[in-house]
Amino acid sequence: MREARNNMSKRITFPFAAVVGQEDVKQALLIALTNPKAGGVLVAGEKGTAKSSLVRALTNVLPDQKIIELPLNATEDMVFGNIDLEYALTCGEKVFSPGILARAHGQVLYVDEVNLLRREVLTSLLDTADRGVNIVEREGISHRHESRFTLIGTMNPEEGTLTATVLDRFGMFVAVNRETDPAARTKILRRVLAYEKEPDLFCRQYETATRDLTESLQAARIVLGTIEISVAMMELAAQYCAKAHSAGHRAELFLLEAAKAVAALAGRGYLLPADMERAAYFVLPHRMRQQESPPPAEEQQEESSEDQNDQDNQTEQPNLPPKNAPPPDIQGQDESETEDSEDKNEELPPPQNDTADQERVADIDKNFPNAKLNVSLSQDRQVRQGSGKRSLTRTDLKQGRYVRSCLPNGKLTDLAFDATLRAAAPYQRLRPKGNCCITIKQEDLRQKVREKRIGNTFLFVVDASGSMGARERMRAVKGAIFSMLQDAYQKRDQVGLVAFRRETAEVLLPVTRSVDLAQKCLQQLPTGGKTPLAEGLATAFTVLQSMQKKEKEMQPILVLVTDGRANRSKASGGDPVADAVSMAEKMKLAGFNSVVIDTEMDFIKLGVARTVAQAMGAAYYRLQELSEQKILHIVKNLG
Amino acid sequence: MRTGVYPFTAIVGQEDMKLALILNVINPALGGVLIKGEKGTAKSTAVRALADLLPAMEAVKECQFHCDPQDQHHMCEACVEKNKTAALTTQSVKMKVVELPVSATEDRVVGTLDIEHAIKCGEKKFDPGILAQANRNILYVDEINLLDDHVVDVLLDAAAMGVNTVEREGVSYSHPARFVLVGTMNPEEGDIRPQLLDRFGLSITVTGEHQSEQRVEVIKRRLGYEQDSDVFSSAYQQEQAELGKAILQASRLLPQVTIADELLTLVANMSIKLEVDGHRADITVIKTALTLAAFDGRDKVTVEDIKKAVRLALPHRMRRRPFEDGVLNWDVVEAMFQEQ
Repeated sequence: MREARNNMSKRITFPFAAVVGQEDVKQALLIALTNPKAGGVLVAGEKGTAKSSLVRALTNVLPDQKIIELPLNATEDMVFGNIDLEYALTCGEKVFSPGILARAHGQVLYVDEVNLLRREVLTSLLDTADRGVNIVEREGISHRHESRFTLIGTMNPEEGTLTATVLDRFGMFVAVNRETDPAARTKILRRVLAYEKEPDLFCRQYETATRDLTESLQAARIVLGTIEISVAMMELAAQYCAKAHSAGHRAELFLLEAAKAVAALAGRGYLLPADMERAAYFVLPHRMRQQESPPPAEEQQEESSEDQNDQDNQTEQPNLPPKNAPPPDIQGQDESETEDSEDKNEELPPPQNDTADQERVADIDKNFPNAKLNVSLSQDRQVRQGSGKRSLTRTDLKQGRYVRSCLPNGKLTDLAFDATLRAAAPYQRLRPKGNCCITIKQEDLRQKVREKRIGNTFLFVVDASGSMGARERMRAVKGAIFSMLQDAYQKRDQVGLVAFRRETAEVLLPVTRSVDLAQKCLQQLPTGGKTPLAEGLATAFTVLQSMQKKEKEMQPILVLVTDGRANRSKASGGDPVADAVSMAEKMKLAGFNSVVIDTEMDFIKLGVARTVAQAMGAAYYRLQELSEQKILHIVKNLG
Repeated sequence: MRTGVYPFTAIVGQEDMKLALILNVINPALGGVLIKGEKGTAKSTAVRALADLLPAMEAVKECQFHCDPQDQHHMCEACVEKNKTAALTTQSVKMKVVELPVSATEDRVVGTLDIEHAIKCGEKKFDPGILAQANRNILYVDEINLLDDHVVDVLLDAAAMGVNTVEREGVSYSHPARFVLVGTMNPEEGDIRPQLLDRFGLSITVTGEHQSEQRVEVIKRRLGYEQDSDVFSSAYQQEQAELGKAILQASRLLPQVTIADELLTLVANMSIKLEVDGHRADITVIKTALTLAAFDGRDKVTVEDIKKAVRLALPHRMRRRPFEDGVLNWDVVEAMFQEQ
């Protein structure tokens, strides 16, 4: 078969030299290409900022290399290599058929949307980049080959983040920002329009500029070999890294190599401290760790420092890779802590006329610290379905991404044709032939292993009674839920909302993936009236039950937010608290996971919410704690 | 194939939706359109009806990807090879609407190993998927917000680059996949990923007609169509033909349409002021304005074109944090037009 291997990239692209601005990104890319030892580069930025265009435009700049792309749909065997099917068929021998990593040897490997690449593939890929060797042990093949490449990744942090370990493997990091200068923006518009109208003509205008770039790259590579690193420079590098509190020693090496490339690109055969400073700008930002922060407020510190660098209001995310900050010695201390919303809760205005029946709508306290719902899936071996980002599980429905094959365990349900063929191939010369070219036997059959991310389902049960409306409590509660919703949004969870007040409980929002809607419901949620806690739990119970009926694999989590001042029983004359507790026990019996957030802040605490939590087998948190800890640990008790 | 398609021109109201779709037919480089609306607002009907209005195009004969014989930059490998040795034989094919069902699996979307060929001949061969069919056509995803995350990923990839790169199940292949992405969604059923949202050139929100006369007209036409679709359709033949002609004329005029520098600056300033993400917004506004001018038979873009284009291209690009409504502040826009 004639294979059109990724050489679409030879096609016409928007010229590198014609990209307006983005000097940092351009320089980082050139450093990476000049010196592969600088560890490649990760380009992060919002959508539509020419990230991919810049990388793909390198094709025409590179003198002797190709850009090999690793698409997100790649299966593992294609990345690492597998058995050569045709050879096995004709010669009956197992021979290694190279994958993308083999093709990438000596070239540039480009992963677009690197943060969406599957974790296992990404880890193995980075391992290979680190060692320069690809080791394959799969499908009866044992093989190793050299694989040295310059890794370039692009990502949009809004879509998900990379862990610190993964970030650390990239030598350099550069943030792309949109252009805010009107003149430059107009220039961009003009160029893009001109390119789209007549690409050939446009590219010809930049031919000289592109050739100059290629030549300077070639020249820099020659100069690079002559640059010596003095002990003083090594000390400087170590100082930089120590100031940035970067873990491990990769940083120093990357820093020196990047600095060499900076000097080489400037045509200098020796290093200057300025080169080091420039290199630090790319090598250190994603490795910086805050050290001064006292342990409990760690997260907050990080956030406030992020705000400091946050020049364009980028959506804050917990693990957002840092923007390119000035080198550490220039960076000041975080002087001011962001307002602590806990104080806010404590220093609430004195109770006004606390009329419980009065209806009001509290707004959302958007300064509430990021509360996160942390679900530990201890043993998630159950086969699940669903779509989301929080947990990655194997799925045996014929959905999800085909990642690898395995021997069928029992009945074969999802045949992996390619793997089956490969398994059968080496024996074809020995087997009798029928009408087909290949005879497949039972023992060749392979099953597809598919993976799918599933989100969790959270059902928020919110007390909207008059007592909750007092002292702006609802504002804080809404703030807490809001921050949890934000977390859910990023992880593609499903959410539902049940509120109870006056006589009844109401499903305000059936479980949906639209976190947006949940937020709107929350915004409009009024408070006032009595507290039918048992009623609320009963309604939630019905919702959860019907949900589990519909989708068996779903493990919904109940989040109860209440002050526990239950004062309305199901039957008239009954004990409201006892009702609630018995409902809670029913919940526990049914095996639903739950968490209770107690908002009781009055001087005399009744502690009903805690009792309910105990009866329900729920994790228990006080609202104040929430603003300190920010993470709710819910351990799923899987049956 | 085209039997039972409700005529595009017979759709009552929904002018924005119709305009957005037509603009994309005139200029496939606009980047598609996302149609948001409640159920039963003729979203799908309009997209499917579009098929009838689509122009014919030249394509390489027997090419799986219907490559454009004139466009060497976006040809598949096979056509590039053929083109080297001899002139390509071409045929005229109608542009079509290719549907991507929500339940589609990734392998069917990007293409995969041809099993039959592998078993019969013992050779690997690429079996093209929906993205191959969609090349140079309209790719329609109904309920796009319900699409599986990983299918969205591959869709984004292809939409961005115009190339589908496949590395799976033993096949390594890449082919052109430039399509007009048309999606419909009911926002009540969940949101759409911001990154996918940004890939859509235009976005519009449809609502049901509120005037009772209009509503009656909708019912009348629908009943008329269901009674006898042929008779009904023939009543609109003339209108359909005229619109088809207008589209063709506009696409011929499009390359000649020019835009003044002040207007470029105006759009750039607006994007900065409104803090939209990235640069796709400005580019799309300008392209939309150019297409609007062409559709109107003019070769110069006017302020009115820009205004209309902003309405179509900006609302879904307003910077929004999760949960904050990204609303297009029309006052700001108006004020900027006033200054002009």
